[in-house]
Amino acid sequence: MQMNPLVKKDVKVQSRSMRMSWGLFAYEAIMALVFFFAMMMIKQQSYWSEANIYSQIVMLYPVLAVTQIIIIGVTVPISTSSSISGEKERQTFDIMMTTSMTPFSIVWGKVMTAIIQNMFYVAAGMPVMALAFVIGGLSPVYLLWFLLIALLAAFFAASIGVLCSSSCKKSISATIMSYVFYLGFFILTAVPYWIAEMYMNDFAGRVFFWLLLLNPAVYLMEFFTWTMGGTSVIYDIISITSTGIKMSEEAAHNLWMAGAGILLVLVSFLFLWTAAKRITPIPKKKAKKLAHNSTGVQ
Amino acid sequence: MLQINHLYKNYGKFLAVNNLCLRIPQGDLFGFVGPNGAGKTTTIRMVCGLMPPTAGNIMINGVDAFSNPKEIRKQIGYVPDFFGVYDNLKVREYMDLYGSMYRMNSRDIEKIADDLLELVNLSDKKEMYVDTLSRGMKQRLCVARALIHNPALLILDEPNSGLDPGARVEMKELLLNLKGMGKTIVISSHILSELSEMCNSIGIMNHGNLVTAGRIEDVLQSAFGSNNLVIGIKEHTDSAVRLLKEQAGVKVETIGEKEIRISHSLSEEEIAKMIAYLIGSGVVVTGFHTQEGNLETLFMQLTKPADAQPAGQGGGK
Repeated sequence: MQMNPLVKKDVKVQSRSMRMSWGLFAYEAIMALVFFFAMMMIKQQSYWSEANIYSQIVMLYPVLAVTQIIIIGVTVPISTSSSISGEKERQTFDIMMTTSMTPFSIVWGKVMTAIIQNMFYVAAGMPVMALAFVIGGLSPVYLLWFLLIALLAAFFAASIGVLCSSSCKKSISATIMSYVFYLGFFILTAVPYWIAEMYMNDFAGRVFFWLLLLNPAVYLMEFFTWTMGGTSVIYDIISITSTGIKMSEEAAHNLWMAGAGILLVLVSFLFLWTAAKRITPIPKKKAKKLAHNSTGVQ
Repeated sequence: MLQINHLYKNYGKFLAVNNLCLRIPQGDLFGFVGPNGAGKTTTIRMVCGLMPPTAGNIMINGVDAFSNPKEIRKQIGYVPDFFGVYDNLKVREYMDLYGSMYRMNSRDIEKIADDLLELVNLSDKKEMYVDTLSRGMKQRLCVARALIHNPALLILDEPNSGLDPGARVEMKELLLNLKGMGKTIVISSHILSELSEMCNSIGIMNHGNLVTAGRIEDVLQSAFGSNNLVIGIKEHTDSAVRLLKEQAGVKVETIGEKEIRISHSLSEEEIAKMIAYLIGSGVVVTGFHTQEGNLETLFMQLTKPADAQPAGQGGGK
């Protein structure tokens, strides 16, 4: 199977640029700073609580993991929002559209490039992360889980970036649109439930509860609270919302992680499909109509 | 090779392309001419599948462009009017990228890219970064890129814009080479003298309409077939026009400040008599000469604003 030409080109071009090196440097610097402050806090806490510092080092894991996820969440929309609009600005987009590449393979290539680029960063942060596992005694399975979550976060953020990029001619407008869309998505999938719980009846609460499945922040919160303390945020929400669902805390956690994960992947694919439709120069329906009409002309 | 039938493109109420019908045979080098905003680029973009027409049909090598867009992409090589580059990409990698986009295998790409770079005289620049090439080199590279999948039809939109005279000559030689290889080429340009040297057929567009199209000799023959005479007048232009209109076999084509262009079916003797008649009637004739038909004259004549053309004047041919 041939590698997507855009991925091959973009990764090569990015790897040669100084932007990549500076990006990695900034990433490592942020990670080092967070590590330093987290260690200071852990040391302070272990001093006052007289707990074993080594058992407290496990706390490095959520701190560093959340930092990395936030960096991904902030940087991916920037890098992907210029993906399609950047091609338009460089005037290479039209040439690309006259080749055998399909619109979906173009948007897929752009998303894959963003994911690969971010995985470079995540990989660069691994040595720092590993301290939590080696000294803190956390199971390496959680490292694998973290990588999967980081992949999902990058895929989701990249699909929003590419969707916005396909809708704008200028990269700057695409970047702004990405952040607005991104924040809007977070707010609109969480706030209705909160309002319903506070001011509306049980039925509204039960309906809007399901919207939380689409909220990446709730997903991450569930993942980290379970990993660190063995408690499920979702189980608590289910308990206070009269959903009528009866299951164990572990089952609620597992079902939520699987269901919401699949749903976020599907939503990301929906964004990519929409982006592909937006860059298709002649929509299928229009092409069919033109082809149908032309049979009478020939 | 390329057949366009009743093509229309509307932008709201504005008609960018109006009932365009065109046939370009295999092996032709077709020059697409027209003033800015005439609809050339819109037509080219529709042929390349970059824009849907409002109505109409395009066939390339007998394949309907809208039923088989994938097949059409394999048949077309497109060189846009602006050469976009990727930073940090070498010439060899640039060719490799576009070869991959046509799903060619790397061995074929390497071999064909070598041949094409030799054809466009860039063999020694293979390891150079694309953004360091001169504009002329970039444009030749763009032609090589458009040929990587061996398309039957090569479409170039203003390939010479912004090129220095040397680069233009190189581009002209390259296109003539490709024509010699049997490629069908459509080239849109404003540089009419070059088009007349390169192309064997042309189409002139104005305000979305194809004003004329065909082999250059035929187009010029039909436009300037009857004898054209330019008469220089110092003053009394109005009375000169009136006198000329009275002449049998004379049609006043255009009226300038100091010259009148007529088409006629007169013998040399009758022309001499007509000039003598004008002078005898008090018109100051500063000179007269037969007008040679060329692409520039034809272009100016066909694309002149409607209010500048004295349509329907004169005594008929």
